[in-house]
Amino acid sequence: MFLTKAKVGQTVNIVKIEGKEKNRRFLFSLGCFEGESITLISILGGNYIINIKEGRYAIDESLAKSIIID
Amino acid sequence: MKIALAGNPNSGKTTLYNALTGKRENVGNWTGVTVDKKESDLKAQYQIKNNSIKLVDLPGAYSIAPFTGEEAITRDFVLSASPDVIINIVDATNLSRSLFFTTQLIEIGIPVVVALNKMDLVNKKGDYIDVVGLQESLHCKIIETTATSEKGLKQLIEAASEASMHSDLENRGKSVKSFSNDQDRQKYINDLVVKFIVKKVASSQVTFADKVDRIVAHKYLGLPIFFLVMWAVYAFSIEGLGGYLSGYFNDILFGETIPTAANQLLEGIGVHPLMQALIVDGMIGGVGAVVGFLPLIMVLFFCLSLLEDSGYMARVAVVMDRYLKKIGLSGKSIIPMIVGSGCAIPGIMATRTIEDLNEKRITTILTPFVPCSAKLPIIALFSVAFFPESSWVGPSMYVIAIFMIVIGGLLLRKLFVWENTSQFIMELPEYKMPSLKYAFTQMLDKAKAFIYKASTIILVMNTLVWFMQAYGWNLQAVDVQSASILAGVGSIIAPLLIPLGFAGWQLAAATITGFIAKENVVATFAVLLAVGSTDALHMPGGVLTQFFTPVTAYAFLVFNLFTPPCFAAIGAMNSELGSKKWLGRALGFQFGVGYTLALLVTQVGTLLVYGEFAQGFIPAMIVLAVVVGGVYLGIRRADVKRLELSQLSEIGQEA
Repeated sequence: MFLTKAKVGQTVNIVKIEGKEKNRRFLFSLGCFEGESITLISILGGNYIINIKEGRYAIDESLAKSIIID
Repeated sequence: MKIALAGNPNSGKTTLYNALTGKRENVGNWTGVTVDKKESDLKAQYQIKNNSIKLVDLPGAYSIAPFTGEEAITRDFVLSASPDVIINIVDATNLSRSLFFTTQLIEIGIPVVVALNKMDLVNKKGDYIDVVGLQESLHCKIIETTATSEKGLKQLIEAASEASMHSDLENRGKSVKSFSNDQDRQKYINDLVVKFIVKKVASSQVTFADKVDRIVAHKYLGLPIFFLVMWAVYAFSIEGLGGYLSGYFNDILFGETIPTAANQLLEGIGVHPLMQALIVDGMIGGVGAVVGFLPLIMVLFFCLSLLEDSGYMARVAVVMDRYLKKIGLSGKSIIPMIVGSGCAIPGIMATRTIEDLNEKRITTILTPFVPCSAKLPIIALFSVAFFPESSWVGPSMYVIAIFMIVIGGLLLRKLFVWENTSQFIMELPEYKMPSLKYAFTQMLDKAKAFIYKASTIILVMNTLVWFMQAYGWNLQAVDVQSASILAGVGSIIAPLLIPLGFAGWQLAAATITGFIAKENVVATFAVLLAVGSTDALHMPGGVLTQFFTPVTAYAFLVFNLFTPPCFAAIGAMNSELGSKKWLGRALGFQFGVGYTLALLVTQVGTLLVYGEFAQGFIPAMIVLAVVVGGVYLGIRRADVKRLELSQLSEIGQEA
């Protein structure tokens, strides 16, 4: 399922990253790729606040939908 | 010897650079503050004997493969300018991410020294990093630093100098680990993290900062909070302390004290009256009218600097993303606009952090709509002279600016064909207590730049304006201004301004000088009107009222705010847009918006407020019809293109 379906506060495993190659590569350099874990911290006004490794990021819904979790 | 500073965004590169070189480059607590490389000699205290060391600050990057324009600058420099050493600045609070770039840098072959920065934060959190172990695994020297309090910097430079002496050939092969693919690299980094880092609290825990985010970036509260913050900044700068001090400067210091003293002095030593007029009316009057606004601008930059340092800017981007998406932009576009409220040039340059080309273009075109500090003197002058009772006039310019950014964005999206495919991602840095010391030095720096501008380009322009209004084409002093060179030049442009209700070559002249620098508009009025009257320019109902009704005065404000910015900002637009075609479109669009808006204010406003037709009503209606027709045709043309494109892609899918 998509990251958008995760519960706030939940840490989940990334199964796959979809979408444009460029965005996939960028997420990869942040440490967001299959096998890594990702935490959904909050949902704020349509943006998803996530924790990857030790960093906090805001991503929009379309990007959140390109992150597939189990 | 040349040292390059490279590392992830917001890891403290520019703070370190400033500390090591004594420079005062702009720092801020969000990703993408530095968008260009900067170079300087080290401060004497950090230089190592017989070895002049140069430091190059580079924009932040997460990886050697660039994602945005400013990251490409970093890659190009590291790969082709071959610095002697790279200092890789690593945010110690996010080591696991930073090491990705670190291992890539080590692989290049240039000696690398790691500065493990923000160690104060690591200690505060109670985390532990096994620096010795990590150093051995990476085969590169690691120095713990805290750039904000200048800790560990001397050791860092010594280590860098030492590393540069071992030619990379000795190091390579035997020790440098290289990876055939980035998956292996990430795996290796994960192993290092497990081995050498002990975290007291997992970073995926919800912290106090996350709770603050839930309020300041709240779906409904976020926008009002943002407006409140910006209102507070401007109220304090324009109406509050800044406005108060500027009032004193304008009315007393440059209005009376200095001109009177100068007149007495010059009369005392028997200077020719024309010379005296040049000095007092031209130089002191013109430049003084601008310098009077110095306190206002200083206070504004002080407040903006505190805001940028706190970490709030990234949250604003999150709040605004939802709204900006509707006009084809994303949250990232708000940062150039906030920076642009200080000065449009760094604002326009900040568009480099926007990855999507179309989004970057629209942001570049719309950013100059935000009133910059150079436009503040015009706003302040007209507010005092025409609307002394109405405190809404100044803030209303910002409201119109926001409104025009929205309309402008929608219009650009209709006029030009593009698909909006950009996705938004923004790192949220940790909040930080803004440094008062930094804000103070930043304020002094901006003040210095402002005085420099006033004493060079504005002074020269004013002297020129004074000559042009005092002399005729035959180079003889004229009895009446209307026979002067300036009147002649102004008269050529003046007909263009008739539909806007601006009559008189003086207004045309002020508009032209405004393109050189916006402050010149105020200075030019000061010079032109000083001749006919002894009243100060800033008096409510003063000399300016002979040219304007309050309605046309408001229109003139709008006109100066939304027509293309000063030459320097146009230059910045040129380099960011990267094509003459787009620069032409941008300038045409800005001019069209400024002109049409001023026209509407004058014509509609006069009709509503005074119940009569303004000057130039008929030409105005003709111009308006042409503009509306042009926009309609432009949108039609774009629609046709869009239709063709969608048909093409359908055919493509069927095939």
